[in-house]
Amino acid sequence: MIDRKISRLFAVLSVLLGLAYLLPLLWIVVTSLKTNSEILRNPNAIFFTPTLNTYAEVLGSGVGAILTSLQIGVIVTIVVLLIGVPAAFALARRVTPLWGHIIAVGLAVLLVLQMVPQPMTVIPLYSVLANWGLLGTLPGLILADIALLLPFSIMLLRPFALAIPSALYEAADIDGASSFQSFRMITVPMMMNGIFTVMAIVFITIWGEFVYAINFLPEGTVLPVSALLAQQNTTYAANWNTLMALAVLTALPLLVLFLFTQRRLVNGLSLGAVK
Amino acid sequence: MTQVTTARPAERVRAPRPAGRRSFTKLPLVYIVPTLVILLAFAAYPMFVLVRMSLSDVGPSNIIGEWPFVGLQNFVDVVSGSEVWASTLRTAFVAAFLLCSNLIIGFLAASVLSVKGRLTTIVLGIMVFVWALPPLVSGSLWKFLLDDSGAVNAVLGVFGLPSVSWLSEPDLALWSVAAVIAWASLPFSILIIRGGLLAISPDVLEAAALDGAGYWRTRFQVVLPLLRPTLWILGILTVLYAFKSFDFFYVLTRGGPGTVTTTLPVQSYNEAFSNFAMSTGATIAVISMLFVILIAVPYVRSIRMETTE
Repeated sequence: MIDRKISRLFAVLSVLLGLAYLLPLLWIVVTSLKTNSEILRNPNAIFFTPTLNTYAEVLGSGVGAILTSLQIGVIVTIVVLLIGVPAAFALARRVTPLWGHIIAVGLAVLLVLQMVPQPMTVIPLYSVLANWGLLGTLPGLILADIALLLPFSIMLLRPFALAIPSALYEAADIDGASSFQSFRMITVPMMMNGIFTVMAIVFITIWGEFVYAINFLPEGTVLPVSALLAQQNTTYAANWNTLMALAVLTALPLLVLFLFTQRRLVNGLSLGAVK
Repeated sequence: MTQVTTARPAERVRAPRPAGRRSFTKLPLVYIVPTLVILLAFAAYPMFVLVRMSLSDVGPSNIIGEWPFVGLQNFVDVVSGSEVWASTLRTAFVAAFLLCSNLIIGFLAASVLSVKGRLTTIVLGIMVFVWALPPLVSGSLWKFLLDDSGAVNAVLGVFGLPSVSWLSEPDLALWSVAAVIAWASLPFSILIIRGGLLAISPDVLEAAALDGAGYWRTRFQVVLPLLRPTLWILGILTVLYAFKSFDFFYVLTRGGPGTVTTTLPVQSYNEAFSNFAMSTGATIAVISMLFVILIAVPYVRSIRMETTE
């Protein structure tokens, strides 16, 4: 069906497309390996002596930022899963017709919440957190982050809960298992793939989140890496090597995850898109 | 929620279940209580506060405290000014730009990348990685590349072309930001369209080939119509994205130079957090929420149909 000419054209186009995405990525890494004076002399030099000085600098002054990022990322991820997995389980069990209606309404609400743009939630949250004494505190930021990611996480987890055959639950019922026991011994183990997927996505998203972090953390605290990067961007005379090193650090969790799960991720996303 | 608990016994009488099942039917509510609490407090209630803010006079001094009610005054002020209309137009421009790139380039690139093979896997891998990058990172990257002495201008220089101020030239800045957003969101549309392409039965394509249709004719007269539902959803998601997109603007231009890249979300954020006019920011946010809802209705409907089927 595809003749030789077209398939050769396609190969060339594929390579061009790949380069359009690969070269900019490489450029971040290359720049982060240059010294500041090197960049001032010639920002686009291709030949230079690579150095890890920038990373040493950024890591030296940025240990606190990385710790803050880790702290926020880990707590948000754990809480989102602790709350989201049971919710996905409940929204996947059509136990009575009435519950079926509740599920339909709940899903619509989650879908709408997921579509609310973040610059629009940050304005009222600012005042809500201020009134509850949570503005400028880590718990305030963490609660806002949880609410930001929960709708999306539940929507993503639910299909995994739906895929569990109800015969398993019925068998557990006959054996006299309580609802919580079947949740713990059937639902959670069988949703592990979904749980890992959501865990990775939530962690990566929070690691790169900066709009809430900039506005909800008090001035003078140790900002997370993402907020540091966003702030660097606003200072006009940017140190490009520092900026790019921070960008690499911000992308690091994604990079690690990708190296391990690349193939499964691409196939999984294509499959998910079909449905 | 009280309705839920009172109504359930009636259901049970209608459909008697084995004793073990009964304890199970009572419980789903318990499992969504934490979600309900968090979302009510930090997602639904803030939406209510946003609306209240847009109907009151809130500035930096009374963010904690009394909010004098002013009715629709904020809306009248905002709508009678010219800035919000300019922002709406810019948002619409970004949406149109993204629609072209996501649907047209997306379709062509997805066709190219639906050939099976090692090359396709590698290229898709790179693109998915870029799509998953935080916008903060890809935005910073392009800010560097599009800088006056950045790599893009260096490449132009190699060909003897003059360098261009991509992000600070008022006539050009919005195009540049839109192009960066298009670059970052193209992988997603390729994945979606590719999914649709792979779902088309090979028999259909074979039949077209037997009827003597060439490759491109098959593409446009057979494949494209079959993809219509996919492209429709992708189109809605793309327009929604244009109304949501904020990170790239924040990183690349902050809405400037002047206000030439100020779209609705950027304007509402800047009003609230640079000018500390919380009410004006909230009003613009409510207006753009109305746009989002309007666009999202057909999407939510189609998803609901899918889940209730």
